[in-house]
Amino acid sequence: MIRNKKVAAKASVLAAAAALLLSACGGAGVDAGASAAPTGDAAACGSYAIAMHAWVGYTASAQVVTEVAKAAGCDISQVTLEEAGVTYDAMEAGSVDVVIEDWGGGRWKDWADRGALVEVGNNGNIGLIGMFVPQWMADEYPDITDSANLNKYADLFKNDESKGKGAWYEGPPGYTTIGEKLVAENKLNYTIISTGSEQALIDVFTKAAADKTAALGYFYEPQNFLAKVPLARIKFPANDWTDAEQASGLTDYPESPLMKLATPKVMDANDAFTKIVKNFSWTNADQNEVAADIESGTDPAVAAQKWIDAHADVVAGWLK
Amino acid sequence: MTVRSEPALVAAPKKIRRSWLLAILFLVWIVLARVTKGKATLELPVPENTKFTTWAGDVADSIRGNRTDGAAFKYFFNPIREFIDGFVTIIREFIAIPTGNSSIPVLGWLGVIAVIGFIVYAISYIRMAIAAVLLIFACGALGLWTDSMDTLAMTLAAVILSLAIGIPVGIWAGLSDRALKAVTPILDLAQILPTLVYLAPLALFFLIGPASATIATMVYSIPIAVRLTAFGIRGVPVSPVEAGTSMGTTTRQLLRKVQLPMASRTIILGINQTVMAALSFVVIAALIGAPGLGKPVVEALIIRNVGEGFVAGLAVVLIAIMLDRSTSAAIQKEKSFVPPSDADRKRRKFGLIIGGILTIVSIVLSRQLAWAAYFPEQINVSDKVAHAADSFIVWVTENLEFLTAGLSKVVTVGVLNPLESVLSNSPWFLTVTMITLISLILGGIRSAFITVVLLLAIVASGLWFDTMITFTQTIVATLLTMAVGVVLGVWIGRSARAERMLRPILDAGQTLPAFVYLIPMLGFFGPSRFTAIATGIVYSIPIVVKIVGQGIREVPTTMIEAATSAGSTKWQLITKVQLPAAKKSLLLATNQGLIFVLAVVVIGGFVGAGGLGYLVILGGSKPQLQGKGLVAGFSILLLGVMIDRIAQYTVARNSAPKH
Repeated sequence: MIRNKKVAAKASVLAAAAALLLSACGGAGVDAGASAAPTGDAAACGSYAIAMHAWVGYTASAQVVTEVAKAAGCDISQVTLEEAGVTYDAMEAGSVDVVIEDWGGGRWKDWADRGALVEVGNNGNIGLIGMFVPQWMADEYPDITDSANLNKYADLFKNDESKGKGAWYEGPPGYTTIGEKLVAENKLNYTIISTGSEQALIDVFTKAAADKTAALGYFYEPQNFLAKVPLARIKFPANDWTDAEQASGLTDYPESPLMKLATPKVMDANDAFTKIVKNFSWTNADQNEVAADIESGTDPAVAAQKWIDAHADVVAGWLK
Repeated sequence: MTVRSEPALVAAPKKIRRSWLLAILFLVWIVLARVTKGKATLELPVPENTKFTTWAGDVADSIRGNRTDGAAFKYFFNPIREFIDGFVTIIREFIAIPTGNSSIPVLGWLGVIAVIGFIVYAISYIRMAIAAVLLIFACGALGLWTDSMDTLAMTLAAVILSLAIGIPVGIWAGLSDRALKAVTPILDLAQILPTLVYLAPLALFFLIGPASATIATMVYSIPIAVRLTAFGIRGVPVSPVEAGTSMGTTTRQLLRKVQLPMASRTIILGINQTVMAALSFVVIAALIGAPGLGKPVVEALIIRNVGEGFVAGLAVVLIAIMLDRSTSAAIQKEKSFVPPSDADRKRRKFGLIIGGILTIVSIVLSRQLAWAAYFPEQINVSDKVAHAADSFIVWVTENLEFLTAGLSKVVTVGVLNPLESVLSNSPWFLTVTMITLISLILGGIRSAFITVVLLLAIVASGLWFDTMITFTQTIVATLLTMAVGVVLGVWIGRSARAERMLRPILDAGQTLPAFVYLIPMLGFFGPSRFTAIATGIVYSIPIVVKIVGQGIREVPTTMIEAATSAGSTKWQLITKVQLPAAKKSLLLATNQGLIFVLAVVVIGGFVGAGGLGYLVILGGSKPQLQGKGLVAGFSILLLGVMIDRIAQYTVARNSAPKH
C-alpha cells in the first residue's frame, strides 16, 4: 500500500521535473516585458567588482563610484570582504578589481610587487587617527586632552576588564594602530583592550556619552559618528612617522591620505571605469554627508545618487 | 537493576577518592598561583612576532606566489574549485541567478514556491506543505527573495556534497573500530577548528568565491554527519546484531536491514544537524564571497544596524524551520504504522495530481509573466520588522541594564578573573603541570601523556599566554552552557510538549548566525570577555539541549517504570535513573558544547575578548601578523584537541567497568 503511494509521488515529481525541463527549453517570455534593458553604451565599459569594507564611510565612497560607473555603462558588482590581506588575495585571484579607500600605508606592498594590484593614488579623503575621550570629560577635566596628564586620570578609566589600570580601547585589527607602543613608550598606566570591531568602539563611546561615564578609545576622521557623539582628541607630541611599523611610540598618529587600489585589469582597460577610478576624489565632508544618509537608513544607492545629482560638475570631472 | 548496581557500588569509593584528589589539587594550585603571580607567563605583546610565526607568514606568502603555476594548483586545487563552482552555479541557476540570456532563473518566485510546496506535500502532509510555502513566501516579504534563494541554493549544494561524503564515511566508522580510529583525528581537526580560522587559508588555496565558501561549509558540516551517523550505528544494541549474525545474514544485509534502520533516528538527527550547520555557515561564508543572506548580515554589521541584521537573520531562520520541519514530518510519516485506508489513498492520489498540475501551471506562469517571475515589491514588511527589533534592543539596553551589567559583573569578577589569574597569570610550567595532573586523575596515564605533549606544543608555538586566555573563556562558557543546557535537555527529554515548545527556539538559536546576535550582545555587555562568553553560550546551548534531550528520551521505559514502581520521586527518577542512564549523551553534549563554545570564543575577538581569536582576526587584516594569526589558529586546534582528548579518555575510563 505504501509502495503505491510512493510510486504516485515519484511519478508526479518526475512529471514536474519534465515540465520544468520543457519550459526551460521554451525560452522565457518574461524577458521581453519585464527586464529593463541596460542603458548606455555597453562597449564603452567592462565588468568589474568593487570591494566593500566594514565601515560606513567606505560604503559611501564605494557606492558613489558604483552608481557613477553604472550610469557610464559599466557592469559593477559589489563584493563584501574583510579588508587588507583577504581583499588583496581576492584582487590577485581576479574576483575583486578595486579598493576605493585603503588606510594601510603600504601594507599591500608584497601584492603590488607581484603585480596583483596597483596603487592608484589618494581618493581626496584625509584620515586622522587618534585616541579620544567623550566631550564631557574634556569639559570637566580640561587638561585631560594632553597626553602627559593621562596617568593622572588613569583611575577614572578602571573597569573589570582593565586589570587594575586604566582601560585603553584599541582600534580594530585591520586599522592602523600603535597603541601598544604609545602605552609602553609613554609609560602610561593603561591596559590595552582589543575591541576587535569599530562597532565595539562606537558602543563604548555612545554609552560613555549617554551615561557620562569615562572612556578612552581609538577613533578616526572622517567618521560621521563624530557629528552625533562629539569626542575630544588626546594630543600626543607631533608625529614623526608615516609607516606604523617605524613609529617610535612617543608621538601621535599622522594625517594620512587614503588610497585607491586597483588591479592591472582596471588600469589597462582604459574604459570609463579606468577614468572613474583614476579620477575619483572627494572631501571628508562629502563622504560624511553620504555616510550620514546611509546610517540613518537610506538605501546606499539612493544616498549616493542624491549626492551625485547635487554634484554633477564634480562627477563630470571624474569621467574625463 | 541489582545486577547494574553492583559495579556502581564497587566503583563508588574510587570515585570519592578521585574527587578528593581533585579538590586538594585545585587548592594547591590556587595557593601556588597566588605566590608566583605574574612570573614566567610568556606574555607576548600583540604586535610582536616570534621566529616561528614569522616563518609561518613566509610560508603563506610563498603559497600565494605559487598559485597560478604550481603543479598542486594546476592539477589539484584548481580542478576541485572549478567542479564545485560549476555544481553551485547549476543549482543557483535553477532558483537564484539568471540563466543564459534570460533575466530570471529557470524558476520565477511562483515556480519555486510551487515546487517546494509540491515536494513537501509529496514527502509529508498537506499542512506541512502549506507551512513551507508560507515560510518561503515570508522570506520574500522580508524583501530578501533573491538572497534567500541564493542561500537555499548554497545550502543545498553544500548539504548534497557533505552527505555524499559524510554518510558513507559515518557508516564505515560506525562498523569498523579501525575506521573510527582513522577518521576521528581528522574529524576532531575539522570540527574543533573554528570557522574563522580556516576561512583565510581556504581562500588562499581556492580563491575568494562560491567554491571556497562551499568547501568551508563542507569542512564544517561533514564532521557532524559523520559523527552522528557513526554514533547512531554504534548505538544499536548488540542483541539484534548478534541475532542477525547467528541467522547467517551477510554484513551488507545486516547493515541494511538491522543497523541502518535501528540507527535511523540518530542518522536523521545527523542529516538535520548537517543542514542546520550548512545553513548557519552560509552566512559566515559571506566573508569569503558566498552569495546569499550572509551579505545583508555582514552589511548590517558594517553600519551597526541591529534591525537589518535581524531581518536577514530571520530569513535564515525561516528557511531553517522550513527545511527542518518538512524533513521531520517526512520521517514521521514514514514511521507511521497506521495503514492508510482506501479512501485516504484515493484522496491522496487525487491531491498529488491536482498539486502536480498546479505546480506545472505555476512554473509556466513564472517563466512567462512578470508578476510571477519577480517577487512583488509591494509585499515588503522588512521596515516594520527591522524597526520592531531595533526598539526591542533599545528597550532592553535602557531598562534592563541593571540585569545585563549585573550578570556580566558577577561572572567576570566572580569566575572569569580568578580563573584567568590561575591559568594565565601564573608560571607556564605550573599551569602545564596542574592541567596534566588533572588529566591524569580524570582520564588516566594516556590522557596525561597527550595533554602534556599538546600543552608543550602550545608553549613552543609562542602563544601560551593567549591560549590560556581563550581556555579560560571556553571553560567558563561551557560550565554555564552545561548548567542551563542539562536542565532544558532533561525538560524536553521528559515532556513532548516542552519539546514542541522549545524546538523552534532551539532551531532558531542554532541557525541564527552568531554574528547576528553578536551585535545586540555587544550593546548589552560592551566590548568585554563576557560578550564573547554570552555569545558562546547562546550558540552552544541548542546542540547541548538537543543531545541531552535525545539521550533522556532514549532511556529504556522499562528502567523508568521499574524505578517508578519502586516509589522513586520525580527528582530521584531524574538524578538517579535518567541522567546516569543518559551519561553517554551527557558526555557527548559536553564535548559538542566545548567545541561549539570554542568556535564562537574566536568570534569574540571581534568584541574585545582578546586571546587567540583576536590574533586570528588580526592575522587576517595585518599582513605582517598573518603568520601569527595562522599559528593562533593552530593553537586553538591544539587546545581543542586537548579538551576533546581529556573528555574522551574520561568517558572511556568511566564506562569501562560496566562490561
